[in-house]
Amino acid sequence: MRPVNLTLTLRLSNRIEVPTPQPASHNRQSHHGSRQIRYALFGPSPLIFPAYSYSFLYFPHRIETPVAGVAQNLQSLLKASTLPASPDSPPMAATSLTAPKLTFSPTLQSLYRNLTIPIPLSSSSPSFLSLRKTLPSHHSRSFSLFQQPRRQFTARADSDNGTESPRQYDFDLFTIGAGSGGVRASRFAANFGASVAICELPFATISSDTAGGVGGTCVLRGCVPKKLLVYASKYAHEFDESNGFGWKYESEPKHDWSTLMANKNAELQRLTGIYKNILKNANVSLIEGRGKIVDPHTVNVDGKIYTARHILVSVGGRPFIPDIPGKEYAIDSDAALDLPSQPKKIAIVGGGYIALEFAGIFNSLKSEVHVFIRQKKVLRGFDEEVRDFVSEQMSLRGIEFHTEESPQAIVKSGDGSLSLKTNKGTVEGFSHIMFATGRKPNTKNLGLENVGVKIAKNGAIEVDEYSRTAVPSIWAVGDVTDRINLTPVALMEGMALAKTLFKDEPSKPDYRAVPAAVFCQPPIGNVGLTEEQAINEYGDVDIYTSNFRPLKATLSGLPDRVFMKLLVCAKSEKVIGLHMCGEDAPEIVQGFAVAIKAGLTKADFDATVGIHPTAAEEFVTMRTPTRKIRGNPKSEETKDQETKAAAGV
Amino acid sequence: MARKMLIDGELSQTNEAEEGHFDFDLFVIGAGSGGVRASRFSTNFGAKKVGICELPFHPISSEVIGGVGGTCVIRGCVPKKILVYGASFGGELEDARNYGWELKENLDFNWKKLLKKKTDEILRLNGIYKRLLSNAGVKLYEGEGRVVGPNEVEVTQLDGTKLRYSAKHILIATGSRAHSPAIPGQELAITSDEALSLEEMPKRAVVLGGGYIAVEFASIWRGMGASVDLFFRKELPLRGFDDEMRAVVARNLEGRGINMHPRKNLTELIKTEDGIKVRTDHGEELVADVVLFATGRIPNSKRLNLEAVGVEVDKMGAIKVNEHSQTNIPSIWAIGDVTNRMNLTPVALMEGTCFAKTVFGGEPTKPDYDHIPCAVFSIPPLSVVGLSEEQAIEQATGDILVFTSSFNPMRNTISGRQEKTVMKLVVDADTDKVLGASMCGPDAPEIMQGIAIALKCGATKAQFDSTVGIHPSAAEEFVTMRSVSRRVDGAKKPKTSM
Repeated sequence: MRPVNLTLTLRLSNRIEVPTPQPASHNRQSHHGSRQIRYALFGPSPLIFPAYSYSFLYFPHRIETPVAGVAQNLQSLLKASTLPASPDSPPMAATSLTAPKLTFSPTLQSLYRNLTIPIPLSSSSPSFLSLRKTLPSHHSRSFSLFQQPRRQFTARADSDNGTESPRQYDFDLFTIGAGSGGVRASRFAANFGASVAICELPFATISSDTAGGVGGTCVLRGCVPKKLLVYASKYAHEFDESNGFGWKYESEPKHDWSTLMANKNAELQRLTGIYKNILKNANVSLIEGRGKIVDPHTVNVDGKIYTARHILVSVGGRPFIPDIPGKEYAIDSDAALDLPSQPKKIAIVGGGYIALEFAGIFNSLKSEVHVFIRQKKVLRGFDEEVRDFVSEQMSLRGIEFHTEESPQAIVKSGDGSLSLKTNKGTVEGFSHIMFATGRKPNTKNLGLENVGVKIAKNGAIEVDEYSRTAVPSIWAVGDVTDRINLTPVALMEGMALAKTLFKDEPSKPDYRAVPAAVFCQPPIGNVGLTEEQAINEYGDVDIYTSNFRPLKATLSGLPDRVFMKLLVCAKSEKVIGLHMCGEDAPEIVQGFAVAIKAGLTKADFDATVGIHPTAAEEFVTMRTPTRKIRGNPKSEETKDQETKAAAGV
Repeated sequence: MARKMLIDGELSQTNEAEEGHFDFDLFVIGAGSGGVRASRFSTNFGAKKVGICELPFHPISSEVIGGVGGTCVIRGCVPKKILVYGASFGGELEDARNYGWELKENLDFNWKKLLKKKTDEILRLNGIYKRLLSNAGVKLYEGEGRVVGPNEVEVTQLDGTKLRYSAKHILIATGSRAHSPAIPGQELAITSDEALSLEEMPKRAVVLGGGYIAVEFASIWRGMGASVDLFFRKELPLRGFDDEMRAVVARNLEGRGINMHPRKNLTELIKTEDGIKVRTDHGEELVADVVLFATGRIPNSKRLNLEAVGVEVDKMGAIKVNEHSQTNIPSIWAIGDVTNRMNLTPVALMEGTCFAKTVFGGEPTKPDYDHIPCAVFSIPPLSVVGLSEEQAIEQATGDILVFTSSFNPMRNTISGRQEKTVMKLVVDADTDKVLGASMCGPDAPEIMQGIAIALKCGATKAQFDSTVGIHPSAAEEFVTMRSVSRRVDGAKKPKTSM
């Protein structure tokens, strides 16, 4: 027995789980049954509990809905689709019996809002577990069979209490937008026992007010197609490398853009299908159409009205092109991922990660690439040394950077080619001009303002730490909230929301040490603070850097290098930032992210034996700080070239 | 002092080691990973006179040739990885086609070119190592070293002249060498040394052995287009690794076109016009251009005169040492493969550092063999850290949770390659600590390094789960494994016999 804090706040369930599969007419008996379960659970230890709560207190044992086998199949399907951060892996089959839950009528709910009651609760009651064994696999039965009795049961419980009849909703949760965050939140909400619907626009590779598709930006217009194009283009570099390793080509290998597009689109179709299946298998009702909020509990999808206890807005963001003359000739990243032909010469406007990733893709495929950035350097917000290093490496691969050059107009000439006029002059002869100048939340025409949801200047929905908007029944996750716009963050937010709403487990997403990658060529991976942030926050910082030529490059003869950087808080010895630019950086950084999230120190890094020969081992063999930054502005340079040449020995 | 010794070798004999008056504070025999590290760090920690001896350079080692850099640089990790890089392109070029690249059916691979570049690279590294030693003030002697007394070494130079020096401490770091089984025709087979320097690229290769060297060379030759037959005694290759992961490796090798021959041994090699005829213990015969024996390595301890001085060695010939790498003769120490503890370069480096700290840093330090990650550079590679599922169950008092994930990596969705990446976390159910992690798939060794830090420091599954993924990567799978694949009762301990 140990005390467990059960926070009885947010659960507004209008249904109570039936402990055993009983016909709908046996509610009374079920009720009784669940009370028995409670007694068994708490055993001899008496519950100190307000008397009036007694009759509404149930301990439904909840079994995750989808059949384990289906879930497993799903996972393999999913993995096949490489959504490693699968919007959905199967429910936790091995722990299908989740912790007992307290379910209250709405009235009590309001009484108990924000009230935390410590209850001694056994985490594993034998009688509770044994009950599970006696249960037939009732969760494999159909959803509807389950749903109805619960509804009726709730109404009954409420009338027992003599309170007003609760409002009936079509769904516990209605999600607008079936991208990473929406699918994750919906699926897990359903797993936790909620009835869930999700709406999404029809599938199209290029998004608009009327087109989208299940899977969202990540799957259809972001991470996945982008990475497929990165893979495709990177082969060009591998051909170059392979020359140094003895491979010969009679003629330069040629690339056929249309094959790539066809295979990419086939893959996207497959993935959107998988996502639909995931929703279906989780018993989430998918409604195709454009959802619009009518009131705090009502959504209108192309004329049909749905009510829901909670509404989740997860409609993501869309590329934004500034209003300049000729902007109609420009393409955005949606279009760039699905071009009918490969650009011969492309201008990419923007210095962010999207700009750099596409610059890498088209450059490797032998398009002539010009990148126009407003600032002096690419990748604002990244570590300064990484910014310098990556642009140098990309320049070496043939990309031309035009710094401090802002676009002013696009002009189409008679031969169909495009010219980009900037504050510094005009560059002509582009087949394509792409704008990667930021993304905006998709908050227009959602009815948000009318119901009182607050929206920031840039269009992002304002939410609290639990992803709740200004309207208590409306929530928002993912890019539409413009917090950290990454798929795994949207997944985290979606998961936290599902737990908050339907698992009696109020959860805040944790934005500390979120790792990220840029799939430019060479790619970047990082986690934690930049040097500038580290110094601002901690003052005294030890900086370890390594800039080396990887083994592969010594053979290939290419000018590829790798840059690595560790930032260590001088006081606590904790590693507070880690940055890498070079081959495999995104894969390498993930494991280090676990270490940094766990708050490990430089000594912990040093105590770890290297894996030889890898690039990653460099992170555990950095012995001498390159710089020590101390409170006084004078930093101590202790560059030890010999250590670096030592190749670990 | 040291310089004087070199000029006049005879002088050393007259300069008997009086109490506290040695020619060297430390004399190291063998300039491989461990020896170079130990000697460099000893000077850093204040050893004034450090000498090291090493055999002359040659890609193929013997009793009289070796080279500064040792196995890792000249005949191991580095040249092996170079060949793995070279061979990996084979598969990658195939994969490129579905991404829209138009390539000829048969691509031309020039082995001689790769070999030359490999040799250039190891010569370059050999030079770097020599410079490292001289920059650290370590005196390098070329020749064969042996122990003459508890504080005396003898170096036989190339011209046959012998130098004798007294040393306060002697460190033996002579490494190991490939060992071949005695079967008829064994002289026709090669070891990994020769395999890294073959004149011609074999078209038909037979590999005997189930260890990491065997599977790496099988992968290399297969990747370069040869037909490869791999023979090993057990049901699965890579004994000692996690059984599930061994099966994954076996499946992948087979998937890449290697002919697997489990539970089979070679009995005889016969030279024929067509190549080497290979007989198996199952009565089969096949013909190969190259037969590689990758059947283990033995410590290089025979010609060191250890018995005469009284240094104890085990049956294998490995020098017996205590936790501080000290032999039974207090002034004689040994590190690296010659002690046959954990035969990995980074472990020899660790042992070398600990030795230097212990002996010259005034800080007795034991190498820590817990959670040492390692990699097998098969194609695709395997990398592991911590316990295998079997080891975890063996050591468990409570339940073990196993999380596995088998998925088609994103690249394969378009390339069409049928090869799953498999990842595995073994977790103690009571403490939630992650006891072991393994991965077989592209980039596994690079991915595992960071995971190794987390395991080394006792990270829990909850800490893995609380880490946000990097999307889309393969590595993110390690932080998104939510469902337990199985729970094993540690008390029951099922036995396997693979």
